[in-house]
Amino acid sequence: MMLGMVLQYWCFSLYPSENSEVPNARFQAAGAIGDAAIREWGMLTNENRKSLILFCLHYVMEHASAADAYVQLKVSAVAAQLVKRGWFDFIEAEKIGILIEVKKAILGLHGSDVQSAGISFLESLVSEFSPGTSTAMGLPKDYHEQCHSSMELNYLKEFYCWAKSAALNVADKIVSCYANISEEKVCSRALRFMFQVLNWNFKSSPSALDNSSSKSNSGGHMLWLLNFYAIVRQKHSSDMLWFDSPLAVSARQLIVQLCSLTGTIFPSGILLYGHQGMQYRTVSVFRGWLGMHCSTFRPVTGGPRTGMPSDRYVLPVPGDDGEMQIKHLTQILSAVIEWVEPPNIISGALRSGRSESEMIDGFHALLSMATLTSTMLFDNLLRSLRPFGTIHLLATLTCEVVKTYVIKNDDEQTWSSEALDIMLEIWTVILGRSGNDMKISAEGISSASNLFNTIVESHLKAAAESAFEDDSEADYFHVSVSRRDETLYAYALIARAAVETTVPFLTRLFSERFALLSQVWTNNERMDPTQTLEELYWLLLITGHVLTDSGEGETVLVPEAIQDGFSGVTEELQHPVIVLSWSIISFAKQSLDPKMRNAYFSPRLMEAVIWFLARWVDTYLMPIDAAKGQLGISGHDEGLQQHPQSSKKVLLSFSGQHSQGEIILDTIIRISMTTLTSYPGENELQALTCWKLLVVLVRRRHVCIHLVALESWRDLARAFANERTLFSLNARLQRSLAETLVCAASSFKDLETSNQYVRDLMGPMTAYLVDISSRNDLKAVAQQADAIYMVSCLLERLRGASRATQPRTQKSIFEMGCAVMNSLLTLLELYKNQSTVVYLILKFVVDFVEGEVAFLSAKETSILVNFCLQLLRIYSSHNIGKISLSLSTSLQSEAQTEKYKDLRALLQLLTNICSKDLVDFSSFSNEAESTDIAEVIYVGLHIVTPLISLELLKYPKLSCDYFALISHLLEVYPEKVAQLNKEAFDHIVRTLDFGVCHQDVDIVDKCLRAVNALASYHYKEKIAGKEGLGAKAMSSEESNSEFQQSILSYFLRLLIQLLLYQDFRMELAGSAADALLPLVLCEQDLYQRLVQEILEKQSNPAIKTRLASAFNALTSTNQLSSSLDRNNRFRFRKNLQVFLIEVSGFMRII
Amino acid sequence: MSTKPYPDLPLGFCCEYLLHFSLLLLCLHDQVRNPGFHFPILPSFHLDVPASCSPIVISSFSVVAAAIMSDEEHHFESKADAGASKTYPQQAGTIRKNGYIVIKNRPCKVVEVSTSKTGKHGHAKCHFVAIDIFNAKKLEDIVPSSHNCDVPHVTRTDYQLIDISEDGFVSLLTENGNTKDDLRLPTDETLLPQIKDGFAEGKDLVVTVMSAMGEEQICALKDIGPK
Repeated sequence: MMLGMVLQYWCFSLYPSENSEVPNARFQAAGAIGDAAIREWGMLTNENRKSLILFCLHYVMEHASAADAYVQLKVSAVAAQLVKRGWFDFIEAEKIGILIEVKKAILGLHGSDVQSAGISFLESLVSEFSPGTSTAMGLPKDYHEQCHSSMELNYLKEFYCWAKSAALNVADKIVSCYANISEEKVCSRALRFMFQVLNWNFKSSPSALDNSSSKSNSGGHMLWLLNFYAIVRQKHSSDMLWFDSPLAVSARQLIVQLCSLTGTIFPSGILLYGHQGMQYRTVSVFRGWLGMHCSTFRPVTGGPRTGMPSDRYVLPVPGDDGEMQIKHLTQILSAVIEWVEPPNIISGALRSGRSESEMIDGFHALLSMATLTSTMLFDNLLRSLRPFGTIHLLATLTCEVVKTYVIKNDDEQTWSSEALDIMLEIWTVILGRSGNDMKISAEGISSASNLFNTIVESHLKAAAESAFEDDSEADYFHVSVSRRDETLYAYALIARAAVETTVPFLTRLFSERFALLSQVWTNNERMDPTQTLEELYWLLLITGHVLTDSGEGETVLVPEAIQDGFSGVTEELQHPVIVLSWSIISFAKQSLDPKMRNAYFSPRLMEAVIWFLARWVDTYLMPIDAAKGQLGISGHDEGLQQHPQSSKKVLLSFSGQHSQGEIILDTIIRISMTTLTSYPGENELQALTCWKLLVVLVRRRHVCIHLVALESWRDLARAFANERTLFSLNARLQRSLAETLVCAASSFKDLETSNQYVRDLMGPMTAYLVDISSRNDLKAVAQQADAIYMVSCLLERLRGASRATQPRTQKSIFEMGCAVMNSLLTLLELYKNQSTVVYLILKFVVDFVEGEVAFLSAKETSILVNFCLQLLRIYSSHNIGKISLSLSTSLQSEAQTEKYKDLRALLQLLTNICSKDLVDFSSFSNEAESTDIAEVIYVGLHIVTPLISLELLKYPKLSCDYFALISHLLEVYPEKVAQLNKEAFDHIVRTLDFGVCHQDVDIVDKCLRAVNALASYHYKEKIAGKEGLGAKAMSSEESNSEFQQSILSYFLRLLIQLLLYQDFRMELAGSAADALLPLVLCEQDLYQRLVQEILEKQSNPAIKTRLASAFNALTSTNQLSSSLDRNNRFRFRKNLQVFLIEVSGFMRII
Repeated sequence: MSTKPYPDLPLGFCCEYLLHFSLLLLCLHDQVRNPGFHFPILPSFHLDVPASCSPIVISSFSVVAAAIMSDEEHHFESKADAGASKTYPQQAGTIRKNGYIVIKNRPCKVVEVSTSKTGKHGHAKCHFVAIDIFNAKKLEDIVPSSHNCDVPHVTRTDYQLIDISEDGFVSLLTENGNTKDDLRLPTDETLLPQIKDGFAEGKDLVVTVMSAMGEEQICALKDIGPK
């Protein structure tokens, strides 16, 4: 009866789809058919199912020429879904019966409209069978995977061949211009489908596919494709729009994809790896299909060579090996070159309105080739076709693109930016390699040099033209800077490929402009220098990139190309890099003259100068190699050429410790001092000085030694300590300045000198802070804005100093902190309503504790800890239960954010105090005086937990810190947590419950660790016959039914739910196992009951038995015992891993 | 340029000098706001301003700060005789998000600061977006970052809430035992019940009153009832 109703429903929904005039209704009906059929699949007989699918297919074929293509697409998608749903219900013959219809259609027996309908059905089918694009059907994951591999093994190749012959069929007509629109459509559809198949995610092992691929079919269809495209292109050469037609686009797409084939497609057995190419396995499938003659094919033993980083490649050995690949690439290149050559004519055509898509595709093809071949091979690819190499072509192309790019005509030339990106990526690929892979011919070098000249000249021109524009990029400042840096990095690689010519070229350009400025200056001419300034700005940026690497987080070395270049130079003053460096330094030195500075050194130019100096200092000033370099080099390649060595030595030693390094250092400090004092309010500039330049100066110890001896550095320190000029800097910069100045202290040989230096530096700050906080009229003046500003600056400076704590300066920094402890408490009380000051105080204490805690003796620790507790109490007394009222929602949310930041600081403070138990460098400890850190945390937790609400835990950083602290506490001091009062304990458990279900993997992991610690503690105590969590583990009197049972059984239930029914992430399996084991051990009975419950709920008997045996295996295999030692935990981890893999196949429903 | 320690100068001279400087700044301010301004036109101008004489300068407090560092004994200006200055000048570049600023004569809290330049090679200017702390209106201002902005004195005082009168006034207990009866309840419908309900339930409430530039408003509420 049920079945009858369902069928009726279909009939009803089929009816409008045949007769209704409204296409949308037909579309809806088609969807309804699909949904209903999949929902009620089990009720249908096999006959019904088949006829339904055939009905859909026939519908699509019959209406192939109708308008409203989206209805046809929907119906064919529904048919594809149904085929997949019934994939394992039908016997092979039935499937073939269905597919034979499609085959007939595709081979063109019923006309070209039906042909393309057939291909589009295949498209839907293939996308339905790939896991990424399949629709949800309410079936286990296993099912989808089986479908995927069945399709791959049995049908995919067949489909590919159908599409290919469909394309071949119509191709002749298209070539001879007899084809109508629908035939062109068939062709483009077929090519698109072939592209789709090439993108299939192949899984089966190559050996399994050997059979299928051995039936290689008629060869050379790649060649056919290339010729086909070329001929059709020729026919349409006058039609500007043709390049964007579906046929052209899909043909090019396929060609580019063929270009990136990698793997053992070539018989040599050499693997060529490309990061964007297809996988090894993919390719072996296509070996046969693509018609390569692969008589000597043998799979490489061990499958893909996984040990090789994916972006590396193997240089084909000359001879037979690799020839196949070279031939393949050359063939494609010979076709692709038509798309991009000659560059100037192409870019002219684009400017007059031709579509750029073909050229961009050509660039993509070149990029694929560059990735797959060594630089030398890449260059040689073109030589059989042209009198010059590929690099030469690339350089000419890039020249054209750059020229168009810098014009920046916003309306039309958007393509130039995309084109430039691809071009520079190619350059980065071929020039970013090291050693043998990057050998370039002399012709290549000279084209790189020419290209760089063009780049610099066009950019200089653009810079001069844009000099008077407003700086409109401010909003996206950082984004645009990192993008600009990427571009400049690529330019720099090009320059380094031809250092011999490009560095002198830069020197010449720089000196010309420098000379121009000085000339104007001496002749007292009235001339607006802005254009020259902008040119200099750009030159400084590019020179900085050419001479140095950015070295984020690494030790910066002089770039290899620059070290090894200039082999003939032995005189310091002739070395082009040194000449260039000197000319820039002496230019920068001009900024020390106030008149020059005011006339020429605009903030923007100065920013570039500071940025350049920061990078230059990091690379060239007193380099580490210089001292031991001689040893290293002569030891290494003795007897090799003498020249490169000496030029390298000259380069590395000219600003070394024993030559002019100190003078340069002095100049640089004076320049920094100038930017800090003579450019009031220029935050960008001052930030660069503080965060980039000064930080670099103190990074290396042997530079610091010279630094602290310099008078200019002492001037800077004196200004910082005793003058108020530097108070006008942004407070955050003052912090960084303090950090830098204190950092330098570590270079003194004598411990006492280091500490005295810090005392001299920070003494005035502490004295001043103490002075303020002990004033009689403090209450009256403290709330004045100027007082608040002063206090903020001082706190930032103290914070900066404590961030620079090092073993050598630890003593004096601790003195500094102790001196202000009482003042800070007074100020915290006083400024309780000034959230910014409160935050600064908390952050200072956090950094102070972090820096100091590991070094302190017992007595010092107790001073510090008492202070922290007092601080916590005062903060908490002011903030518990406080509600802020404001009319403005944004001010309200600001207030919430401030609260969150405060709390985060408090949590960090507790975490930092905790670390005393883990890392302790204090030399002696007296048991009697020592503070119990656990006790402190215990008190701290009582104070902090009431402030934390579930609302606040939605801030990711806060919840991360909070759970880090909680899991750490539970792991290290479970007994302390067990002693917490009920309210606090319940609060913690509630937050854990919240955290286990969190999205963030990190947080879930921490919560699982916490649960593990809690349960393990309870279990161990129980075994020892103690109370464990005792009454707390049992129900709290809360009405919340979730916690009715004991807390541990609640977590057990929760965890099993998570593992079975939710989308559980495998990376958490380890910590989940660790948490589950003690829970199971604690609550054995409950666990058995839970398993029973789950099994009973399962209606499908097959799944039921699988699940039962999986549960059984989880607890009984691998000699699992009931202890919590390491071995047992390890075994349980393994068991759970197996369990999850097994269960996810049928419990996860997609 | 020399950066000699400033405190060597006698204080009187210092103040006089500062006065000149502030006048100069005013001129410069006008110049910069004039769209025709480009920095190379006025190179000689900068020469008159010593580097050490920048920003925080025109403040009694900082003069005191300098003096303290030069071992002289000084006092903060006490509020009573200062004529209760309502604002204080601070260099625009040092004002950060969450700080306070006066825009169009209203005390505001800064919610956004961005910097840009007047032409590529000109000087930096700060663009402030701020919210009036009393009426929640959004205000914006652009100031050259080396110039001074007015920063309001914003104070917050805690009082115990004694009574709410029917005509919408609250009665507050001050620190020295007097009552303060001149403050209205907020009229906003979301804020009002939070105070009224709490008081009606008999909780011990402390209210925080924010005052700036002669205006006052209740800005926070805290239950200090027995635990």
